[in-house]
Amino acid sequence: MDERDLVFYGTPIEREEELSSRKKKAVAEASGQLRTLPTWKQEVRDEEGRRRFHGAFTGGYSAGYYNTVGSKEGWAPQTFTSSRKNRAELKQQSILNFLDDDEKADLEGQSLATSTQFDTFGFTASEVARKQADKEQDKRPSAIPGPVPDELVLPAAESIGAKLLLKMGWRHGRSIKDSSTDSLYDARREARKAFIAFSSSDDTKSNIDGDANHVNDHSNSLERPVNDDNLSSQYTPLNALQPKQDLHGLGYDPYKHAPEFREKKRSRVSGTQGPGNSKALTIRDNLFGSKSGKAGPGFGIGALEEYDIEDEDVYTTAYDFEDTVVQEVEDSSKPITDHKHRLTWKEPGILPGFKVASISDYQVEKFNAPEVPKDFVPRHKFAGPLKVEDKTAVPPPPDVPPPEDSNMKVLIEGVATLVGRCGKLFEDLSREKNQSNPSFGFLMGGNGHEYYERKLWEAQQKYKDQKKLPLPSDGKSSQKTEKMNAENRGKILGERPLERSSSSLVSPDVNLQSNLSDTFMKPLQFSELPEVSKPFKDNSAKQERFQQFLKEKYKGGLRSGESGGASNMSEAVRAQERLDFELAAEALEKANRGQQSNLSAQQSMDFLTSAGMQFTSAGVEQSKDTLDKDFEMKKMYPKREENQWRPSPVLCKRFDLVDPYMGKLPPPPRMRGKIDSLVFKAEFIPVPRIGDKTGQNQNRSSGGLQSSAQGVRDGSADEEEDEVVVDVENVERPVDLYKAIFSDDSDEEAETSKVSKVEDPEKKVEVANATLNRLMAGDFLESLGKELGLEVPPDLPPYSHTNQNPSALEKETTGLNPRDGSSVKMVAEVPKSMDDQSPPRGKLDEVKVVKITEEDRKQGSPPPSEDRMDRRHSKRQRRYDSISDSYSSSSGDDSDRDRYSSKSKGRRKKGSSSRDKKSSSSRKHSRRRHHREDVSREYSSSRSSRRDKDRGESKREKRKRRD
Amino acid sequence: MSASDLPTKEANVLKGHEGAVLAARFNADGNYCLSCGKDRTIRLWNPHRGIHIKTYKSHGREVRDVHVTPDNSKLISCGGDRQVFYWDVSTGRVIRKFRGHESEVNAVKFNEYSSVAVSAGYDQSLRSWDCRSHSTEPIQIIDTFADSVMSVCLTKTEIIAGSVDGTVRTFDIRVGREISDNLGQPVNCISLSNDGNCILASCLDSTLRLLDRTMGELLQEYKGHTCRSFKLDCCLTNTDAHITGGSEDGYIYFWDLVDATVVSRFRAHASVVTSVSYHPKDSCMVTASVDSTIRVWKT
Repeated sequence: MDERDLVFYGTPIEREEELSSRKKKAVAEASGQLRTLPTWKQEVRDEEGRRRFHGAFTGGYSAGYYNTVGSKEGWAPQTFTSSRKNRAELKQQSILNFLDDDEKADLEGQSLATSTQFDTFGFTASEVARKQADKEQDKRPSAIPGPVPDELVLPAAESIGAKLLLKMGWRHGRSIKDSSTDSLYDARREARKAFIAFSSSDDTKSNIDGDANHVNDHSNSLERPVNDDNLSSQYTPLNALQPKQDLHGLGYDPYKHAPEFREKKRSRVSGTQGPGNSKALTIRDNLFGSKSGKAGPGFGIGALEEYDIEDEDVYTTAYDFEDTVVQEVEDSSKPITDHKHRLTWKEPGILPGFKVASISDYQVEKFNAPEVPKDFVPRHKFAGPLKVEDKTAVPPPPDVPPPEDSNMKVLIEGVATLVGRCGKLFEDLSREKNQSNPSFGFLMGGNGHEYYERKLWEAQQKYKDQKKLPLPSDGKSSQKTEKMNAENRGKILGERPLERSSSSLVSPDVNLQSNLSDTFMKPLQFSELPEVSKPFKDNSAKQERFQQFLKEKYKGGLRSGESGGASNMSEAVRAQERLDFELAAEALEKANRGQQSNLSAQQSMDFLTSAGMQFTSAGVEQSKDTLDKDFEMKKMYPKREENQWRPSPVLCKRFDLVDPYMGKLPPPPRMRGKIDSLVFKAEFIPVPRIGDKTGQNQNRSSGGLQSSAQGVRDGSADEEEDEVVVDVENVERPVDLYKAIFSDDSDEEAETSKVSKVEDPEKKVEVANATLNRLMAGDFLESLGKELGLEVPPDLPPYSHTNQNPSALEKETTGLNPRDGSSVKMVAEVPKSMDDQSPPRGKLDEVKVVKITEEDRKQGSPPPSEDRMDRRHSKRQRRYDSISDSYSSSSGDDSDRDRYSSKSKGRRKKGSSSRDKKSSSSRKHSRRRHHREDVSREYSSSRSSRRDKDRGESKREKRKRRD
Repeated sequence: MSASDLPTKEANVLKGHEGAVLAARFNADGNYCLSCGKDRTIRLWNPHRGIHIKTYKSHGREVRDVHVTPDNSKLISCGGDRQVFYWDVSTGRVIRKFRGHESEVNAVKFNEYSSVAVSAGYDQSLRSWDCRSHSTEPIQIIDTFADSVMSVCLTKTEIIAGSVDGTVRTFDIRVGREISDNLGQPVNCISLSNDGNCILASCLDSTLRLLDRTMGELLQEYKGHTCRSFKLDCCLTNTDAHITGGSEDGYIYFWDLVDATVVSRFRAHASVVTSVSYHPKDSCMVTASVDSTIRVWKT
């Protein structure tokens, strides 16, 4: 039921939820609230209750008169005046227009105006000065009592100082301090003296003393404000005396946090530069100087661009940033300091307003270098975790008889040995792991704990001794020699340990080896594996790498990239080795786990041994293999590949070359006509035929230039020649093949003729493809056979790769036509290349023929007829006819569709071209493609003879492969 | 030319670039040279008198390569801003900017008639740009490379480019085929011999390889210098008798073309020698370095 179908009567009661809160508010406001408000407090809101916004430039939330079109006065009737004739007068309004008289009177007292002090040349000066004079008159003990008449005392509209300065050539708007020539400076000083004297006489007597001081102190007179009216020299604000001349940002002070540098800088500047140094020069230095602006790391990155990894300065080592930064600051600050210096004081190194103290309280605090204790040895000793444990376990636990259970005993001993060697961590780990396992109760203080303690202590002791042995320079050698007891000695000598201490099955010399490398490493499970477990022991380098690998593996995921350090190995070898290592490590781990559990230690060792042996054999062999491969790889390079590449027509034009693919593949529509004409020019083709052999002979004769490596191929030359005779056989293409491609009639209709045109282009493409597939499989060969006068049995070997065939076909045809087209052109342009061009085609075609005939013979068909030579010409004729036929047939009304289909085919072809070579049935066609390439190769100029041989060889190789 | 004729004496030092100079190139007749660098400028010099003539500024990032037409009227340059700039030499204005590379552009060259510029980019493509028409679209994009294309050379009929994928690919326009010579090592820079028969390829395994162009054979390998991480130029001398190239340690090496022995080596710069360019006729060479100088060497 739709609501529209219903008829409603009355006003629906609105449900609360339906009303948005805004709406509610709007409704509420509209209902009553707003009416009570005055106009200017009301807000205009839309239906949704939002305030109405007029746009930032047209009033914001309030346009017009409080969002109305009215005015405060409301509407008043007016007479119309044409604005055309009487333009409205421009009224200059001031505040006084809107004030009552009494208001004006009020204002009189408190109006804001510039005081004389800051407005020497101002307009209000005369007025205010008069009042001032009045006031002062009252306070001053005067010769004339009472108010002085205005006529008598007229304050100067212009200060006397300014007048004087003007007379001396100073002009308004210029700083007195600008000019720095000494003569001017002197003159001005005189003037100052004069005007100070003048003003002091004009002023109160109390000021005279101060002014006299001023006169005495020339250096300060400029900095200190002179009395009321005489401030002409001060009107230029001081900051304007320091124009911005550096290249820093506004307000940026390079010395903000390092004022001491400013000081230093100033002193240096004053030391090196005279006051008259030109600013322009320094600035230019700054901008263009070669030493000033070395770019920082982010140099050249715009504000909107991200600073990504590509922008990292790979050349950073070449810079010395600190240096250059300092330099830059120096340069830019030169003008400032120079300026200041010139202005205010002569002695360098003093802040304005300060003098150099005669007695300096400041003393540089000196900190002496820390004293090195006399017994300090500048070598760091690493406190290995084992040593620490040593110390904690100094009181040896009491000797306890082993538990009855021999299994238990072996287990305890095994674990103790491991923990002793690998550290406390191992114990914790195994405890955690075997919490539920009752046989590991000794770890948790259960049965056999005392024995374990004892064994652990023994193992630790032993391990410590072993570890210390290789480091005789440890400083504790005396201790060590003490500890070298009979047991240790026996172990070193390889004696069979006593029964009680038989826990250690490890021969110490092995440990020595590994310890050497492990002195600075945390001892790890696998670093101390006995010799038997070294899987790569007959390759010491590899074993080393393996140990390194193990170490890194158990370091916790942080693996250095150069594992193994075998930099001379190739990537493949390295990967192979890595696999080996992984396997070996896994086996070792397994073995270790076995040791932990009820397996006896000896057994595990055996297992390790066997595992190790396994890996020894496999690993070494494989690495040899890969090394060989590496070598081969090196031999392989450089290797050459050739591919089809289609330059764009414009590119060819710009390079002033003829487009080799003129009008092919995705053919530009207008090219079509050209192709036809080119195809018809085919009568040029036979001409070079004659020259073929001569050309080839020439090539061969010039073959002497080649390197000796190619001399081997010479033997094949004769064969080639023989082959050339056969060649023309299948230069010809079956008619239906072309029709299949260039006319898009559905399958067999192609043969019969263009009877029915298929409806829509898409379907056509499909149909065409299908046609091609089918054609390719059987029809092509059949027709070929027909062409050759052979009988091809209908039940050819099944073509399982039929869907790949069209690609080959396409290749073939596309390969063919550009050749024809370009060759025709080439004849005119480069006759020599034409000569070169023909033989390869002949050869390759011949190869194919041979193959076909062989097949035919197998099938019991008659051999090819003998009168090839005779047929040659006629066949060629036919062939070109057929080509033109196919073109003409397709260039009709459906030429557009035609193009589409061929395009799509072409695309598919590309994808499958790589597979072509694999399929046996299409091999023949794909060879055609090679053929084309070979032909095209002939165009490239100079060393054609060499290439011929090369080609011959490659061909032979192919043949061999086939056989 | 014997080894003693090699330009080993410093004739001039061209200073002006701020930061690394990435390329220095003689013009066609060898009277001028162009340089470009990290400071986003291209500079025109008279290397024989050591004079800086002009600066071309417009690039937004570092300029990686520059080439000038044989008639000295136009420049083409490229760089980190992914654009190829086509300049007027005398006015210093950019005539056209070719956008299209999806990443930095490593190298650019004019063809013989200066009608096309071919640029090689980090985006694994070569793009050819039409300098004749007003189109700023590439005429053709060649993207058969598997990695960044580092260097490009043009002959009358071919485009040759070296790529980090280890290949030197020759695109023959006249024949319409691509020949790919796989060297197995990242190719940094390629340079044509003056007779046009060989390609010298600088590989990142600190080896220069000389290839026969027609057969793709490896004719010789030149070792001794360091080239592992930077794009260093290499070239043949004007007589094709020697091979020269920079090294990452600031040295310049000269090898004998035939027996690959180091004929001469000397420290030329304080830092990586990024570019070397040999005078087309005389025994004179310019080298550019990360140390922001360009040095002119003569016998």
